[in-house]
Amino acid sequence: MLLSRDSRDPAAAGRLIGCMLVLALAWPIGKVAQVDPAALLDPANLKVAGGFVASFWPLAHDTFFLGLLRDAVLQTLAIATVGTLLALLIAIPLAVGSTAALSVSAIGPAPRAIWRPAVRQAVKALTLFLRGIPELVWALLFVRVFGLGPSAAVLALALTYGGMLAKVFAEILDSVDRGPARAILAAGGSRTAALVYGLLPNAVPELVSYSIYRWECALRAAVVMGLVGAGGMGQLMDQSMKAFNGGEVASILTAFLLLVLAADALSNLLRRWMDAPPDALHKRIVSGWVLALAGALVCVSAWRMIGLDLGALFGAHAGSDIARFLGEFLPPAHDLPLLGKIASGSLETLATSLVGTVLAACLAAVLALPAAGRCGAVLKAITRFALNLLRAVPELVWATITVLAVGLGPFAGALALALHTCGVLGRLYAEALENAPPAGEAALRTSGAPRSLAFLYGALPQVAPQWLAYTLYRWEINIRMAAVMGFVGAGGLGQALYYELSLFRLGNACAIILAMLLLALLVDHASAMLRWRLG
Amino acid sequence: MLNHFRRHALRGLAALALAALATPSFAQMKELKVSAIPDESPTELQRKFAPLGKYLEKEIGMPVSFVPVTDYAGVVEALAAKRIDMAWLGGFTYVQAKLRTAGTAIPLVQRVEDEKFTSRFITADPAIKSLADLKGKTFAFGSPSSTSGHLMPRYYLLQAGLTPEKDFKTVAFSGAHDATVAFVQSGRADAGVLNASVWDKLVEAGKVDTAKVRVFNTTPPYFDYNWTVRGDIDPAVAKKIRDAFLKLDPANPEHKELMALQRATRFVPTKPENYQSIEQAAQAAGLLR
Repeated sequence: MLLSRDSRDPAAAGRLIGCMLVLALAWPIGKVAQVDPAALLDPANLKVAGGFVASFWPLAHDTFFLGLLRDAVLQTLAIATVGTLLALLIAIPLAVGSTAALSVSAIGPAPRAIWRPAVRQAVKALTLFLRGIPELVWALLFVRVFGLGPSAAVLALALTYGGMLAKVFAEILDSVDRGPARAILAAGGSRTAALVYGLLPNAVPELVSYSIYRWECALRAAVVMGLVGAGGMGQLMDQSMKAFNGGEVASILTAFLLLVLAADALSNLLRRWMDAPPDALHKRIVSGWVLALAGALVCVSAWRMIGLDLGALFGAHAGSDIARFLGEFLPPAHDLPLLGKIASGSLETLATSLVGTVLAACLAAVLALPAAGRCGAVLKAITRFALNLLRAVPELVWATITVLAVGLGPFAGALALALHTCGVLGRLYAEALENAPPAGEAALRTSGAPRSLAFLYGALPQVAPQWLAYTLYRWEINIRMAAVMGFVGAGGLGQALYYELSLFRLGNACAIILAMLLLALLVDHASAMLRWRLG
Repeated sequence: MLNHFRRHALRGLAALALAALATPSFAQMKELKVSAIPDESPTELQRKFAPLGKYLEKEIGMPVSFVPVTDYAGVVEALAAKRIDMAWLGGFTYVQAKLRTAGTAIPLVQRVEDEKFTSRFITADPAIKSLADLKGKTFAFGSPSSTSGHLMPRYYLLQAGLTPEKDFKTVAFSGAHDATVAFVQSGRADAGVLNASVWDKLVEAGKVDTAKVRVFNTTPPYFDYNWTVRGDIDPAVAKKIRDAFLKLDPANPEHKELMALQRATRFVPTKPENYQSIEQAAQAAGLLR
């Protein structure tokens, strides 16, 4: 007997209530983020932003500008490379210091050393601190201490990425098979031996692959830091943006996209090479040496290119400069008006991150369908390209454009976050859809359900937890980005920080940086809890 | 008030300490490093500086280089950290530099134009006719460190009984004078304020739609921009620099281009006292600690 179609949607009531609840919550949040869809459609605004985007063509291509652009590209490459190298120097000891895999006491009867766990905790706290402060904040501070240019960016990258690498390195070391290391420690071997012969051989591919991935991120970060005056393409972009020179902005964006694509390809190549089957071992060793040599050559030339004078960076004079400058940050101010300002700034930043993430998730969900190949190969190629484009342009660069489109304020920041995050989430959502087992949806289709319902009740429930987890992860990243959006006029804590730094009220600035740190930690916590509850 | 006394006492102490140390042992300078606050685009600043740099090189007999900086406060910090020797500062950035160098930074010269500087309040909203009409509107300043784009307009707004953070719907910082005009023209800010000289320049160049954007208020005059050297520079060099500026004469064809680029008719000596009113305004507006 054919099943009769039930016009009632069995899950409708629950979903409707859920949607209403979300909307009820979204209203005040949208208010704080000054969401104003009308501004987006206002013809006057469309004319300004449209006019600016229209002026992108023709691309600027006079020889003088191209010369500037070439130097900026090289400088950005150099900043990312040297920054990542220094970050590795910071991360390796921190990771070794904080991994539990090398704990003698965890293995069995060990010499009593109460201080060792304490040291591990201290190193972990330092790591947390380093990666908790966005590189852009470090860059802004170092631009003041070292002046304009790449040194500030390199140092900022080194600190934040040092913290990030250290955390992931420690996690990798913790997760590889500890057997060999434990055996060496138990047999009375030294920690160094346990690390080098017990842990590293299993962890190296993952460590290298993650470092390469970080280098790729560093390229994007190097561009963004230029927007606060730390050299490279970002600084050039800032100048062209301020002069409203669309052709130049477009040329820089094009160069940047090409650079990111090239870096992406290179890092894929390297990672695939790392995963090559062991029978090609001999070949791998030879090409490994060639690659290492080439890498060393690139690093040396990068180093020379930005003329990073480590002596000047770490010399006695620089030391006292940093000490003097950073010393003024303490103690953090905590008067009532300031705390009020911080509270409203935090709320605005939180709202910006929420609105940005939710908008991005909605857009990404819509785009994920064609991107997963559900609407034909042509649409798949087009949406994939669009998603890559959205993802390749950093949030802060989007913000400089959205500020023109909807005006200064948090809404511009939320839109910028949404655009970039939609590129990231769209791709992840599509991949989840492609990897989901097709059985449920196919069963619904064969029993006569229309495509839309088969998707809603067959495919969506299967990918929903994964989509949600990705979205929550991105929210953790977006709260950090929302905190610095204010540097380009998008409100929130970033604007307050820039203001206090401009007025040399460094105690106030310190309090705001602490608030940023706290907010990021709170969101991390909330997101982890939500994921745990939903998982 | 207590703060005020304490700061004076501190400054006195600092002066004493300096006097005690002032057995002049100026390291032989090999190069004069110069910078400027980025009130215009950095490329424009470098273009403007080129002929002046050449002229100074000849007059003081040592190489002169320009250090570009994109951030107002960055220039102040560079002067305090002795990474540059001389800077083109605005009135407020000079006061900041003075405080951050314990009162040792020396203002040398300024343009006659800088002795009577003003800011213009602009809007594209027909309903805004006076400062009082700004209540509840979106307002754009320039850079937080700008004298003519933030400090003095804020001071006069306060005098008119308006507290920006309380009375405006949104307070935004566009970052630069020309950006403020762009935001007001596009209606993204209901009103804004900028440097009178940049406004005039933009109007002359036809870069503003004056049918739409209009000036509805101009501030009373105040002292603005000057050339400042750090306090521990060799006094002989400082004197040479000052003399070189004062010698500039628009009637001299060799100086004409240089002065046109600096938009100066004549340079005159200046002194810290000229900026007392700016410092008081900054105190009153709560922009100094």
